[in-house]
Amino acid sequence: MLAVKAEGLSKTYMGEAAPVTVFQNLDFELEAGVFAAVMGPSGVGKSTLLHLVGGIDRPDTGRIEIFGESLDDLSPRERARFRNDNIGFVFQFHHLLPEFTAEENVAFPHRIAGVAAGEARRLAGELLERVGLGDRRSHLSRSLSGGEQQRVAIARALARSPRLLLADEPTGNLDADSASVVFGLLAELHLERGMTTVLVTHNPDLAKRCDKIFEMSREGIAPATGFSG
Amino acid sequence: MSFESFVALRYLAASRRRAHVALISTISILGLAVGVAALVISLSLLSGFQDRIRAQMAQRSPHLRVSPIRGATLADPARVAEALESLSGVVRVDPAIEGRGWASGRTIESTLPVRYRNAPSGELPPAPSGAPPPARVSASAATRTRTAPGELLTITSSRTRLSPLGPIPVAVVVRVSDVRRASALERTPDVELPEETARLLSGIATGARAYEARLSDPVRAGVAARAVSLVLGPAYRVETWRELNAPLSFALRLEKAVIFATVALVIVVAALTIVSNIALTVVEKKRDLGVLTSLGATPGSLARIYLILGAVIGGTGTGLGVAIGVSSSVLLDRYEIVSLPADVYLLTHVPFAVHPGEVALVAAFSLVTAIAAAVLPARAAARLAAGEAIRLSR
Repeated sequence: MLAVKAEGLSKTYMGEAAPVTVFQNLDFELEAGVFAAVMGPSGVGKSTLLHLVGGIDRPDTGRIEIFGESLDDLSPRERARFRNDNIGFVFQFHHLLPEFTAEENVAFPHRIAGVAAGEARRLAGELLERVGLGDRRSHLSRSLSGGEQQRVAIARALARSPRLLLADEPTGNLDADSASVVFGLLAELHLERGMTTVLVTHNPDLAKRCDKIFEMSREGIAPATGFSG
Repeated sequence: MSFESFVALRYLAASRRRAHVALISTISILGLAVGVAALVISLSLLSGFQDRIRAQMAQRSPHLRVSPIRGATLADPARVAEALESLSGVVRVDPAIEGRGWASGRTIESTLPVRYRNAPSGELPPAPSGAPPPARVSASAATRTRTAPGELLTITSSRTRLSPLGPIPVAVVVRVSDVRRASALERTPDVELPEETARLLSGIATGARAYEARLSDPVRAGVAARAVSLVLGPAYRVETWRELNAPLSFALRLEKAVIFATVALVIVVAALTIVSNIALTVVEKKRDLGVLTSLGATPGSLARIYLILGAVIGGTGTGLGVAIGVSSSVLLDRYEIVSLPADVYLLTHVPFAVHPGEVALVAAFSLVTAIAAAVLPARAAARLAAGEAIRLSR
């Protein structure tokens, strides 16, 4: 079964001086249960591809199906609900909400889904224990270290047990040790939860530890050659 | 607590750490509070005066008046009097003997057209035998005819009688027993006379132009009027004291509406600072909105966060304003802080009366304005391109 099927994707942003075309007519497919790395130079649209696949941005042309569900056929409200139930995001700069504690940040996906506050906090607490931050649950996110913040972000992305995890350079802003810890956690959770994971990274060593590597360029995206998975 | 309320309240609480947002939030809340307090105090001041005017209106006007739809006098006065007397809560029923004429004092320059009528029985002092009948004169008529209590006034009717010299006007000399002060808009006759004198001047020997009743509770006038109408049928016009004083009631309502519309502008101006405050928060929290979208928040949900923020700011400002306005009005009235020269205003102090319905109206207006002010930035939040917000916040 295909977790992601994207056909003929094009995306252009309005730049300050002129429109900037990120990619055109891009196709991408990924089987369910695979831990895939996406590599490529900066500016080729790796993050944009994740945003389109995750449904937080819309392609100018093309179609995207996630586990057979076409995102184009969903209303904004239905797409939001689908994202809440099926897709988790981890960003390079963690993007935790600074006014909230680690536990509150992790509880957000549950609160958005309508889970009662107490139950959402309990589930968030369990997940924080799982990522090794049980003792940090009441800390404001800005008081945590970079590695801890990214682990909280991973816990938040996994709160609703998504079938697809999209991680955009989650180790890009961390030192080598923290990066190794975060990647190890992602790999563990991927296996533990049977998810499909897409990891954008510039680190070839981490990419090699994935099931599959895609290389993205101006011409498009394709399985990499020259890497041994 | 909903997810949206949770986020909105935390943003508001955390704004203390962002000095510029905290300052604008404080200005928004204080601005709204000042506007609400000013409006509550203004309306309480007006209500204080208007309540007294209405009380005087109810005291001086007949509470019910029955007159014929056609014709100058009642066709069946006994039936009308009986219908009024049979009402529960009726204190007194009097005939109304009215007419127009001219009043003149000692000089010809002091003649002026007047409306006269009979005073309710027992309200004028009895005249000694052979002396001119007593009359109660309005302050304006007394001033213009240059008469004072104890002096004589000639009332000349528009009606004529035949004499050996031909038709001559009917005239009566009366002694001014009392001068009555009333507001300019109050519907009172210029001269009140004993019933026999009024009958003589108007030529209504029996019957009456109308019958008037006073009730123990003027508030019940509307109900009583409907009951009398049902009994007497469509040939009679039944009016309450409010309808008889409709121009004054309208003027009082208009006065209040104008004050409301004018002072409410302060609230509208305060609401503009709420727009800027919330718009600033939307811009500052653009990345957070993108993240919440990635977690599954709907556009409607993002908009609700900012509407709730507007409602909380509005609620706080409104609550503060209502507390200040109501407590100030109560204190100003209880301790008679603003005094007035009693010989000019008939009152020793400026009265304030807090009407709960008006306070509720002010609070509702303020709250709705505050929430409406949040609509524009809330819509901007709902339309946010989440991917772009995250991409640009790197």
